[in-house]
Amino acid sequence: MISEYHRPRTMETALTLLGRSQPLTYPLGGGTVLSRPGRRGYAVVDLQDLGLNHIDEQGISLRVGAAATLQAFFEYPEIQSDLREAIRREATTNLRNVATTAGALVSGDGSSTLITALLALDAHLAWAPGEKEIALGEWLPLRGRPEMQPGRLITTITLALNVRLAFMAVSRSPEDRPVVCAAVGRWPSGRTRLALGGYGEAPTTAMDGPDGSGIEDAARFAYSHAGDEWASSEYRAQIASTLALRCLRQVEES
Amino acid sequence: MNITLQINGVLLGAEISPGLRLLDFLRMNGYYGAKDGGCEKGECGACAVLIDGKLVNSCTMLAAQAEGHDVHTIESLGEHPVHGWKTSRGLDPIQQAFVESGAIQCGYCTPAQVLAAKSLLEKDANPSEAQVREALSGVLCRCTGYVKPVQAVLRAAAVLRGESVPSIEGAIPAPEDWLAGSAQGETPATPTEPAELAETEVLPRIMVAPQTKAFTTVGHPEPKVDALKLVQGKPAYAMDIEMRGMLIAKVLHSPVAHARIRKIDASKARNLPGVAAVLTWQDLPRVVYSTAGQSDPIPGPLDTFSLDNKVRFVGDRVAFVAAEDEETANRALELIEVDYEELPAVFDPAEAQSPQAPRIHDEPEYVNFGDSDAAHNLAAKIRIDIGDVEKGFAEADRIFEGDYEVPKVQQTHIEPHAVVTYWDEDDRLVIRTSTQVPFHVRRQLAPVLGLPIKRIRVIKPRIGGGFGGKQEVLIDDVAAHLTIATGRPVSFEYTREEEFTAARSRHPMRFHLRTGVKLDGTITANEMYALSDTGAYGCHALTVTGNTGHKAMAIYPGDGIYRKSPNIRFYADIVYTNHPPAGAFRGYGVPQGFWATERHIEKIAHALGLDPIEMRLKNAIRAGELHPFSTAWSEGREPKPEILNTVGLEECARQGKAAVGWDQKYANPEWHRVPGAPALRKGIGVALAMHGTAIPYVDMGGASIKMNEDGSFNLLIGATDLGTGSDTVLAQMAAEVLGVPLEDFQVYSSDTDFTPFDKGAYASSTTYISGGAVTRAARLVAERICIRAAHMLNSRGGGVEVKPGEITLAGRKAYAPDGREVTFSEVGYNSLHHEDQEQIMAVASFVSPLSPAPFAAQFAEVTVDTGTGQVWVDKLVIAVDGGVIVNPLTASGQIEGGVTQALGYAVSEEMKYDEKGRPRERDLNQYHIFRANEMPELRALFVETYEPSHPFGVKALAEIPMDAAAPAVGNAIADACGAQVDVNPATPERIWKALQSAAAAEK
Repeated sequence: MISEYHRPRTMETALTLLGRSQPLTYPLGGGTVLSRPGRRGYAVVDLQDLGLNHIDEQGISLRVGAAATLQAFFEYPEIQSDLREAIRREATTNLRNVATTAGALVSGDGSSTLITALLALDAHLAWAPGEKEIALGEWLPLRGRPEMQPGRLITTITLALNVRLAFMAVSRSPEDRPVVCAAVGRWPSGRTRLALGGYGEAPTTAMDGPDGSGIEDAARFAYSHAGDEWASSEYRAQIASTLALRCLRQVEES
Repeated sequence: MNITLQINGVLLGAEISPGLRLLDFLRMNGYYGAKDGGCEKGECGACAVLIDGKLVNSCTMLAAQAEGHDVHTIESLGEHPVHGWKTSRGLDPIQQAFVESGAIQCGYCTPAQVLAAKSLLEKDANPSEAQVREALSGVLCRCTGYVKPVQAVLRAAAVLRGESVPSIEGAIPAPEDWLAGSAQGETPATPTEPAELAETEVLPRIMVAPQTKAFTTVGHPEPKVDALKLVQGKPAYAMDIEMRGMLIAKVLHSPVAHARIRKIDASKARNLPGVAAVLTWQDLPRVVYSTAGQSDPIPGPLDTFSLDNKVRFVGDRVAFVAAEDEETANRALELIEVDYEELPAVFDPAEAQSPQAPRIHDEPEYVNFGDSDAAHNLAAKIRIDIGDVEKGFAEADRIFEGDYEVPKVQQTHIEPHAVVTYWDEDDRLVIRTSTQVPFHVRRQLAPVLGLPIKRIRVIKPRIGGGFGGKQEVLIDDVAAHLTIATGRPVSFEYTREEEFTAARSRHPMRFHLRTGVKLDGTITANEMYALSDTGAYGCHALTVTGNTGHKAMAIYPGDGIYRKSPNIRFYADIVYTNHPPAGAFRGYGVPQGFWATERHIEKIAHALGLDPIEMRLKNAIRAGELHPFSTAWSEGREPKPEILNTVGLEECARQGKAAVGWDQKYANPEWHRVPGAPALRKGIGVALAMHGTAIPYVDMGGASIKMNEDGSFNLLIGATDLGTGSDTVLAQMAAEVLGVPLEDFQVYSSDTDFTPFDKGAYASSTTYISGGAVTRAARLVAERICIRAAHMLNSRGGGVEVKPGEITLAGRKAYAPDGREVTFSEVGYNSLHHEDQEQIMAVASFVSPLSPAPFAAQFAEVTVDTGTGQVWVDKLVIAVDGGVIVNPLTASGQIEGGVTQALGYAVSEEMKYDEKGRPRERDLNQYHIFRANEMPELRALFVETYEPSHPFGVKALAEIPMDAAAPAVGNAIADACGAQVDVNPATPERIWKALQSAAAAEK
């Protein structure tokens, strides 16, 4: 159970608390994960007073504060419809109202529609202290390994606004967690990036190339062993390929 | 730590543990409107409150996080419109709309839905239906299908904008656009678009039976008698109670599927400070029983112990703990040391029948029922032959065979199983429990607890949904044993994970069907073999699977000579495996059977080139015919012949067909295409169903009515309203008899000390059985009123002497034929205070020799993505013959909710296990039930018949909506793209594979 609750007003205090070795101390975004019963003897640092809930634009970049709620992100007027849909499908309204964007990145599993979309957009994470930046795709494998983190706290998620995004998913019902989802980001340069979700511990980047050629094979290859109790690898590989191609067509036509 | 929260405008300070959830803080401080659905990830949303005007789950938020924010709970919205001398602000318009629209069923999610609406409407006064659905999407409802909650929010929005809204208080809804002529081939009306439905159609369309038109209360859309308390979030449920010294109970569940407990050491747990008791199998008397809540004698084996030295599934019970708080109880569970001697396990029901299979029940106390045979893992066996089946096959032109399969699925009531037990001042054990069967709980637990029945009192408070899951004596013994052990009150509530791992579920089954037909579609013989997996215990094993055949194989006796002498074979083996036990779930074996028969008959119709509806109706059972199974099987008891008096199936099919626009869509290639989307194909499907109403000669309900001075009445019933609206419809029948408005009834249900016996809420029996009892009691009360009224009128003089038999009751008055009258209040005062005093009251009961069958025609429209297998169910239309509809609001709510559960059965719901018997589904993310923002258009139509065996002509309708939606969807998928999915749910991968198979077959 949670042994300490802190709500610091400065980043310095927050980082000091998060830097302690004892008790284990975690940043508390919306609390949707850390409030769950089970684990014991850890402290939480509530980020709500740190001013990390901003969403703003800098040139062609969108900067989303780590503590910005998913609902605030969802409602931000400048985001593309497919990104909005990926955020919406990440959680229900009541959860989006309190869950934070960084919290969703930290806790999301392979079926995370948000992570899949942000991977396709090649989102970057800024960390404190030091404002180190790391690509989401590079950081995902490091999740859950405290010694490998670029810092103590994610402060900002940055994504490009000039990248066209297509997102598609297949699930048992329209709002169910996807068994396969795909997102394709297309840069003005032609750079094309495919992310797949619906399987494993985290979504994965299946392709990042100068254009969309080979995207079907890339998708099929990426999910060629993606079988589990929810879907066979045969099915996932084929559907990933189908969705990847459909997403590519959508970004090419838009 | 110390915090101060602003709740409903009032500052509340408290010292709390840093990890305390906001939900717990609120409930500890009396804000019971926030409900606990037992989930850990905020999936259900029943706990939602407003934080700074936004809907937030209080179960996934720490109390400390809410400091500095404005917290609003349901208690801040409105209150009862009459508070005696004190002026009341009345209900909030949103609450009022929920009451009027019939949006409240079990009411467990209602406070959160109302708050979701509040948040939305404060931001947007004129939301679209899609916005309303999105706003409600985080609050799961298993009862309503979301139709009426959405209508309620749109209605409230209109009221708040100052617009007038149509009355829902009128008489029986006039079927202005009823397609009465469609049976004669007239052009059906264009189906209404979904966007219009929610705003305009609160009441369903009903083809009213002529007898119903004379009623003044029965047949009318009365608001539910319990709606006011539920919409205010009053502490009405099992866990909404605080008692001094109350302990928290927890259960240690088995991590292995099959093992003997070689050694169990609870000493460390017992020594943990704050632990009041730890019980293992060594501490309890060894009493074998069945957890199936059924009448005596239970038609199934006795194979269960409260705690045993053997575990039979992952999740089985190992030990009970009672502690001062939840955290201590959980820590105590971890300190119990168990040495398991693992035994070979069996999960495949076919393998379980093998002589080499591990034996699951080897306990000497095992008590057989019927053909159960524990030595061969057989919990029950059914062998029914009607007519001469082999002769029927010999007479067939063609014989069709097929294999079908249905999965294990979960009831998923939003209120988990919950119970509080305590010794009262007379040393009687009180069990306050969320149950469908309070009287069975008392009877069945008495020997288990070592108490006589008379020393147990079972109180059933408001139930937050049950759907059969609470027709089980599932957790009451845990708390009761711990109260006996400690002498203290004990509360125990399942978590959502326990609901998935250690509660009951629908029996998964495999079927083989063989049907002989003439080329004109006449069925000459029909044979079904069902292999049912009851899991580790045989609760409901025989009766669930018996009903599979009893309904699904009875609907099509055949035509011509076969109609009078059908040839039907139904064999079933219900076997033990090391899966969690199955049990009762709305439909009770029937949805399983109809998946098989309705998929099978569809294929036969196509193979013969026949219209699928016409072929069904040609062979379907008709009014005046013998229920073919009635002389063969009756839930393990002596079968007696039953004639079906009323069968509205043909009319249901015709009306449903017209409403869905079947003729314009089926066999119309153009309709099946989606312009601009070549991968998408549309399809339309149908399935018919029949069910039953109660168990003949067995199910009994009792009712008691007493009159008060003001002419009001107390209706005491043992029947259990799970959210179905039974308290309301039963009171409507009494009000109809006595000539008073519904508001003059105070309904109390149920308490084994105070209310008459009722078998409980199952078998679609309450409106029929308990309603029969209520009607009889009301007639006896009416008789006493008439006698006294006649005496009073004659004493007053001024007219011809009136006899009691000449008195009529209406409008809270008793009338003589010449118009003289006495009010009910005058009768009440006269009887209790003034003259020849007596308590006007009566008790009556009702049992029926018949189980009148309700019928339904279910239609489904789907769109299939042939590239991925994804299916979208676009529309579900169901026409139901449930006899007379007592309350159109509650009836349509039942149908909409049932069809929604069946929709999950069709496409998404499924419980699977790995090779060790460990469950895949443990929460409501993994086990997805439909949300408000993904629902297809739902439409319920009623075709009334007047069942003569009931005083108000009613039959059942609680379970029939569960029966046919899945096969209708399956048939629609086949119609859309040729994919024959014979294992439900029709997941994208199953559809995709069926498409691959179909493509391969064409090559």
